[in-house]
Amino acid sequence: MNIVLIFLITIFSISLFFYGKSKTKTISIKDNIKLNALPKFYGYYLVLWCSIPALVFLLVWSLFEPVIIKSIIIETAANQGAIFSDKNEANLIYEKIKAIHLGTYFGDIDSILRESALAYAKFINLFTNSKVVLIFGIIIASVIYSLKKIKNNNKARDDVEVILKGLLFVSSLIAILTTLGIIFSLLFESIKFFSVINVFDYLFGTNWSPQRAFVRDASSITAAEFEELKDAFGFIPLIAGTSFIAFIAMLVAVPIGLFSGIYMAEYASIKVRRISKPIIEILAGIPTVVYGFFAALTVGPFFRQVGENLGLTVSSESALAAGLIMGIMIIPYVSSLSDDVINSVPQSLRDGSYAVGATKSETIKQVVIPAALPGIIGSVLLAVSRAIGETMIVVMAAGLAANLTINPLESTTTITTQIVMILVGDQEFDSPKTQSAFALGLTLFIATLILNYIAQRAVKKYREKYD
Amino acid sequence: MNNIKIKSKNLNVYYGNKQALFDVNLDLNEKEVTALIGPSGCGKSTFIRCINRMNDVIDICKVTGNIEMDGMNINDKDLDVVSLRERVGMVFQKPNPFPKSIYDNISYGPKIHGKGETKSELDQIVENSLKKSALWEEVKDRLDEPGTSLSGGQQQRLCIARAISVNPEVILMDEPCSALDPIATAKIEELIDELKKTYTIVIVTHSMAQAVRVSQKTGFFHLGKLIEVGKTEKIFKNPDNKMTQDYITGRFG
Repeated sequence: MNIVLIFLITIFSISLFFYGKSKTKTISIKDNIKLNALPKFYGYYLVLWCSIPALVFLLVWSLFEPVIIKSIIIETAANQGAIFSDKNEANLIYEKIKAIHLGTYFGDIDSILRESALAYAKFINLFTNSKVVLIFGIIIASVIYSLKKIKNNNKARDDVEVILKGLLFVSSLIAILTTLGIIFSLLFESIKFFSVINVFDYLFGTNWSPQRAFVRDASSITAAEFEELKDAFGFIPLIAGTSFIAFIAMLVAVPIGLFSGIYMAEYASIKVRRISKPIIEILAGIPTVVYGFFAALTVGPFFRQVGENLGLTVSSESALAAGLIMGIMIIPYVSSLSDDVINSVPQSLRDGSYAVGATKSETIKQVVIPAALPGIIGSVLLAVSRAIGETMIVVMAAGLAANLTINPLESTTTITTQIVMILVGDQEFDSPKTQSAFALGLTLFIATLILNYIAQRAVKKYREKYD
Repeated sequence: MNNIKIKSKNLNVYYGNKQALFDVNLDLNEKEVTALIGPSGCGKSTFIRCINRMNDVIDICKVTGNIEMDGMNINDKDLDVVSLRERVGMVFQKPNPFPKSIYDNISYGPKIHGKGETKSELDQIVENSLKKSALWEEVKDRLDEPGTSLSGGQQQRLCIARAISVNPEVILMDEPCSALDPIATAKIEELIDELKKTYTIVIVTHSMAQAVRVSQKTGFFHLGKLIEVGKTEKIFKNPDNKMTQDYITGRFG
């Protein structure tokens, strides 16, 4: 029904556009007056007036209709003698009634349910009809209003500008509100978690084993259970694993990325550059899950084989394999960005260096790189936050056990991996185990936020150094 | 009459298919200022960039013919460009100090050529270069401030000091005053007058007045050809060529 309505509104708006355009033209010719705006603006004006009020009304109606119908139906069911003690049971009865109406209910149907289902059908019908009537009413009213305005040769151009500005504002508002919503949901769930687990136990604990936390209800924890839980949520192994894998990734990505960026910017001929730059950037387009199974199925076993030949014990899921592949994934971020910043160093600086007799590599090392340093730092920090946030490769290649280790050949784990592990499968939403995922998310969010802030400050501080 | 320092014979320069210089024969005298004048795009800058092989930086540029300094062929492809540029310094149109401290800007060249091994030797080179470029008094208390913090005229004198720091024999100047105000320009011209006692100087300029003020010899380029060359006094008072006459009196260009 809603789709039909939206379709009708669209058709109607489009025809109004052409009507408004030709109408104002004839007015201006007939009465020989100068229009306040181009004819097409009167068309836009009609379109906006015809569609926006109706669509907004439709949206609001669709949001509130189910809620209102639900409360009415539950009330009628109660009046007919249905018994429910809490909200969950009421919801269950409502879902049953809905299913009967749709013909998908196969349990026993008693008279209460049957009566309620009939009432439900009646209300649905009533609401749909009134929705259609109201929407057409709104369209007619707003079109009459706007047509009257047009006849008076109003300043349609200004009005269209105001409405468009409003639309853009609403779009950015939605983006901001969504971000705030995510932050707050993280925050509230984390607060629940920290009401059970001490913040310091979390931040400085060295043992991470949330599987132990089989507590159904966080509010009814006994003292013994609390002791058990206390050292199950230590953050240290996770941040250590995250930093360790990110560190290995940066060891791979920074030199290779930076050097290839320098080659692209300083040495490569235009032809080589035109071919090789897109090829490197393809690396950034490969889905991380593909990198993940490459790391888990090819690189990991290869390292184990090599390790065995050398007489080392190498876990088939190792920090080294995950870090290495993550580093390769990040290369294009570093190389592409540093290529751009090196290219933006003015040629005059290079000329100045050549003119005193410096060679190309001396010039790059002592003049070009220092001048491009802020941008290079920015690209590296961007790569670091990418490495910290990366999940799939680590899930597949680095293992799940939260070992506190600095041996790259052992398996280790990261914050993001643990979030995945906690939220995969069935879970109780009020157990500390599930809530710990939100605490981890919040910590990760704050860490990347700080990193981004530092990156921006670094770039800002050194920008404009040459000029 | 001073000795000939640099001698070009049938010098041709091509940028891809486009020829930029046609058979240029020009002698530059030692410890003298030679000014090159002519309308934009006539090949003046291209010519001086041949003297320190800066054209090597441009991929599509090809140079044929002979250009000699003290009998050594500059255009020889086996020539060591690093030691050539140690002997032939250059100052550019727009001041281009490195984004480093004033001190590092000057010590950069000597360090590259392995001069000034101890700190005190290096200090001495920096001080001498800044004194020769008449900047010492203005910056001696703030040598560790960035070179880019100086004013435009000071930056250009810093670039001259940078060129002097490796103790060259020739200094090429590509419109060194075009980005400067008249007061800074006057200072640079004064400096050029002083520097010619020690160095052979070639200056490209768009200002006739400047050419008259600073140079002893003037060459007039037009469309890649050297039209006329001679003593500055003669070129500006009584040129042989009608085109030179028209250019210096402002009838074209």
